Amino acid sequence: MSAARPPEGARTAARKGEGYPVSTPLLELRNVVKRFGQGAGVVQALDRVSLQVARGETLGLVGESGCGKSTVAKVAMRLLEVDEGQVVLDGADLTRARQAELKPYRARLQMVFQDPHSSLNPRASVGRLLEEPLIVHRRGNARERREQVQAMMARVGLRPEMAERYPHEFSGGQRQRIGIARALMLRPDLVICDEAVSALDVSIRAQVINLLLDLREEFQVSYLFISHDLSIVRHVADRVAVMYLGQVVELAPRDSLWREPLHPYTRALIAAIPSTQPRGEQPPARALLSGDLPSPLAPPAGCRFHTRCPQAQPRCSREAPEFSELAPSHWVACHFA
Amino acid sequence: MKAAAISVSPLSGVLSVGGPARRGWAFAQRLLRNRSALIGLVLLAAVLALATAGRWLFPGDPWEMAGAPMLWPGQEADHPLGTDFMGRDLATGLVSGAGVSLLIGLVSTVLAALVGTAVGALGGYYRGWVDAALMRVTEVFQTVPKFVLAVVLVAIFKPSVGTVVLAIGAVSWPPTARLVRSEFLALREREFVLAARTLGMGDARLILTQILPNALPPVVALASLSVATAIQTEASLAFLGLGDPNVMSWGTIIGGGREQVIDAWYICGLPGAAIVLTVLGFNLLGEGLNDVLNPHLRER
Amino acid sequence: MSLLDIRDLQVAFDTRAGVVQAVNGVNLRVERGETMALVGESGSGKSVTAYAILRLLAKPAGRISGGQVLFQGTDLVQLDERAIRAIRGNRIAMIFQEPLAALNPVLSIGRQITEAIRLHRDASPRAAWEQAVELLDRVQIPSPRQRAQDYPHQLSGGMRQRAMIAIALACEPDLLIADEPTTALDVTTQAQILALLKQLQLSTGMGLLLITHDLGVVAEVADRAAVMYAGRVVEEGGVNALFANPAHPYTQGLLASLQMDRLRAGERLPEIAGTVPSLLDLPEGCAFAPRCGQAHRLCRAESPRLGPAGTAQRVACFFPMAEPVARSLAA
Repeated sequence: MSAARPPEGARTAARKGEGYPVSTPLLELRNVVKRFGQGAGVVQALDRVSLQVARGETLGLVGESGCGKSTVAKVAMRLLEVDEGQVVLDGADLTRARQAELKPYRARLQMVFQDPHSSLNPRASVGRLLEEPLIVHRRGNARERREQVQAMMARVGLRPEMAERYPHEFSGGQRQRIGIARALMLRPDLVICDEAVSALDVSIRAQVINLLLDLREEFQVSYLFISHDLSIVRHVADRVAVMYLGQVVELAPRDSLWREPLHPYTRALIAAIPSTQPRGEQPPARALLSGDLPSPLAPPAGCRFHTRCPQAQPRCSREAPEFSELAPSHWVACHFA
Repeated sequence: MKAAAISVSPLSGVLSVGGPARRGWAFAQRLLRNRSALIGLVLLAAVLALATAGRWLFPGDPWEMAGAPMLWPGQEADHPLGTDFMGRDLATGLVSGAGVSLLIGLVSTVLAALVGTAVGALGGYYRGWVDAALMRVTEVFQTVPKFVLAVVLVAIFKPSVGTVVLAIGAVSWPPTARLVRSEFLALREREFVLAARTLGMGDARLILTQILPNALPPVVALASLSVATAIQTEASLAFLGLGDPNVMSWGTIIGGGREQVIDAWYICGLPGAAIVLTVLGFNLLGEGLNDVLNPHLRER
Repeated sequence: MSLLDIRDLQVAFDTRAGVVQAVNGVNLRVERGETMALVGESGSGKSVTAYAILRLLAKPAGRISGGQVLFQGTDLVQLDERAIRAIRGNRIAMIFQEPLAALNPVLSIGRQITEAIRLHRDASPRAAWEQAVELLDRVQIPSPRQRAQDYPHQLSGGMRQRAMIAIALACEPDLLIADEPTTALDVTTQAQILALLKQLQLSTGMGLLLITHDLGVVAEVADRAAVMYAGRVVEEGGVNALFANPAHPYTQGLLASLQMDRLRAGERLPEIAGTVPSLLDLPEGCAFAPRCGQAHRLCRAESPRLGPAGTAQRVACFFPMAEPVARSLAA
C-alpha cells in the first residue's frame, strides 16, 4: 500500500492555485452530516459537507470556532462516525468500515495535532513514539525500524541522539516536529494538519511551516491544512474551503479566493486579519461583522450567516442558498454572490 | 477558537534528562527529598528489619510456651519483650507477626489493585453499558461495610492466610477501580490517545501501552495507603479470632491479650504500637508518593 | 509626569532549579491617552511585567527584586498591601486572556460589576446596578439590562470579554492593563474587541498597556510598542516607525516571518533559527546572540542596553539594522 507518485502536472497545476487536476480525489467527504447530542440539545456540527483533496494538493480549511473544521478532521480519520454521507479514501468507501478493516488505510492517512503538549504520550520516549507506527503496521524488523526513526528525526531537524528522551524534555516547536515525524513514518498519502502551528510561539511557527513545506515536496504528500489563520493558509494552500457553522460556504483556488472573495463571510474574515503593515495616520475603516456567532444549538434558518451578514435580504432568512459554481472552480453558497 | 501561543516554560529543559535508568534515579532522589516519604520509608525499613533480621534474632515458634507467663519487658534477658499470659515470647511473636502482616497486607493489596485496575480500565475505556455494569458491581461492593463483608467471607471460607488475603482483596478493590476509571475517562480523550487510534492501534495495545502507564501513578500512591488499611483489617480479623489459626499475627497477640489489658497492657500495647508504626509508615509513604508522582504528571 | 513609569524592573522567581530572572531591567513608560503594546513570546517576561505592576505575582516564589513602578509618581513596589488593593480595580484595572477563567461562574455579570463598584466607591446597590447596566451598554452588549442578569457561561466568548472590560472600567481607571485580551477569541470577534478598546480609550482618555504576542494586534491599536526578549526590552518606539524600520534583529525577524503576503505562496518563510533560551541558562552577553544572523564577538561578551530615554526609537543592540530588509536570519 505505498503512495503512488502523483501525475507530473498535478503538483505544478496545484501549486499555481489554478484548480485541481482531474483524477480520483485522494480524500473525499460526500454530503457528510455529523450530529452531537440528543433530543433538544442536538448540535449539527457538520451539515452536508462535501470536500475533496486531490493527489499532490494542499486544501486549506478555514473557519472560526464552531464551524466544524476539527470535526471534519476527526470524521475523515474515522475517529468519529458520520451520521449521513460518505468518507472515501482513494475510491474506497470507508464510511461503514469496521476498525479492523480500516487498518491498512490508516497508513495512508495521518494527522498532526494542534497541541504539542498533549499529542505525545508523556510516558514514552521519543524513539518509541516514532517506532510505534512501524510496529503497529509491522514494517521492518527492529534494526530497520531504529534506522528509520533516526533518519526521520534527522529529517525534521532533531538530533537522533535525543531518541531516548521524553517529550517533556523538548520545547513546543520540537514536540511539534516529533508529531510531524510521527505522522510521516508510514509515508502516508495525505496528512491532516489540524491547527498544526497555532499553539506555537510566533518565532517558531515559521520554522515549522517551512518544515511542512519542505516535507511536502520531499515526500510528495497532500495536506488538508486546517487553520483559523488565513495568512498561513494563504501561504500554504492550493485551494481553500471556508466553513461557517457546520457548512462550507466558499471553495476556490487560493488566488481566486483572495482576488475575489464572493461570500460575505469570507470577505469579513479577510478584512478582520490584523495587518502587519504599519498603518497610516488613520486606521482604515473595516467592515466589521456585527453580532456574535449564533449558538450551534439553534442555527439561523435559511442561510446560516444571514444574522450577521451586511447584505442580508428577506430571502436569506427563508431559503438556504445552494452551493454552486459561480466561476471556474469557485463555489459559493450565497444568493447574492 | 483561536488558541493561545502556549509554549513550554523555560524551565522545562531543566527537568529530568536521560533514559529510563536515569529517570528512575531522579525519581528516587525526589522521593527521598520528600519528608513524608522519607519518614515513611524509615519506618517501613524498621518493620522490614523486624520481619527479616528479627527472625534471625528470635527464631522459634511463637506459639511455644517458652517461659513464665506475664513477664514484663526487660524482666528477663531471655524474653526482652516479655511474655503473654500463656508464656509465649512476645519478641518472637512480634517478629513473626511482622512477616505475616506485611505478607498479607502486600499480597491482598496487589490483588485488589489488579482487580480494581482491570475493572476501572475496562469501564473507563469502553464506557456505555460495560461501564454501567461494572459500576453497579463496584457500587455493590462499596455499599456493603468493608469489614463486615471481610468477616463474613472469612467466616464462610474458613480462616487461613489464603482466605484472609482473598477476603481483604475482595473488599479493597473499589477505590482503585474508581480511580483508574476516572483516569481512563480523562486520558482516553487526550490527543496522544487519539493519535494512537489514528495509527490503527487496537484497543488492547492502546490500553496497555498508551493509557495505563499514564494512569498508574495515582494508583501507586493509593496502593501504599491501601496496604495500611489492609494491615489494619488483617489485624482486626485476627483479633476477632478469624485469622489463620496456624499463624500468629499481631492481631492474634492483641486478641490474646484482651483480658490482661489492665495489668499486663504491654501484651496489647507492643503489637499495637507495631501496627500503628507500620500503618503510619505506609500512609506517609503513600502521601509522599502522591506528592512526587502526581505533580510530575501534570507538569508541562 | 508619565502615567506609568517602570524603571529598571527586576522580577525573580525562586524555583527548585534555581533563581529565574524573569524580568531583567525593564524600562517602560505609558502616557495618558496612549496605547503601549508590550510584545513578546513566551518566556519574554511580558506577562510577568504586567502582573508585577499590580503586585499580583505568585507568592512566595515570585518577587520584585529591584526597580520601581511609578504610577503617577507613587512607587507601587513600596506600597503596603492595603494601599495596593485600593489601587487595584480602581485606578489601575486589568483584563485577562481567558474570560471564562477570570469571571466568577456563580455570580451574574451585573453582580460582578457592582462588586467592583462597591469595593471602591460609596454606592447603593441600586445605583451600582444602574451603573453596571450603563457600563454593559458602553461595551456594546445588546439588551444590557437583561444581560446583566446572565451568568458567564450563558455568554459567548466575545460577550464575556466585553463583560470583563465592563468590570475593569467600573471605577474609571486611569490605566488599563490588558493581558492578551483577544488571544482566545476568533479573528472576527478579535477585531470587534480591539475596536471597542480603542474607542473606550479615546472616550475616557485612560492609558492602555496591551500585552500581546500578536504583532498584527499591535499594528491595529497601539501607538507605541516595546518588544521583549528573555526578560529585557530589546526595542521600543512608535508603532509606525517600528514596523517600517525595525532596528533590532529579533523584531526584524518576527515581522519578516509574519509578512507572508510579501512572498510567493509556498515559498520558504524567513525564519529565526533556534529557540527561546531557558531563563535558567541565559547566554553570556546578548540573549539573542545565539539566534542572530549578525552576531559579533562583542555581542557574545556583553549585553547591550536599551538606548537613551527620550529618543523616538530605542534599541538594545550593538549593531542595529539600518534598513528594512527582510532576510532569513538563520545563524
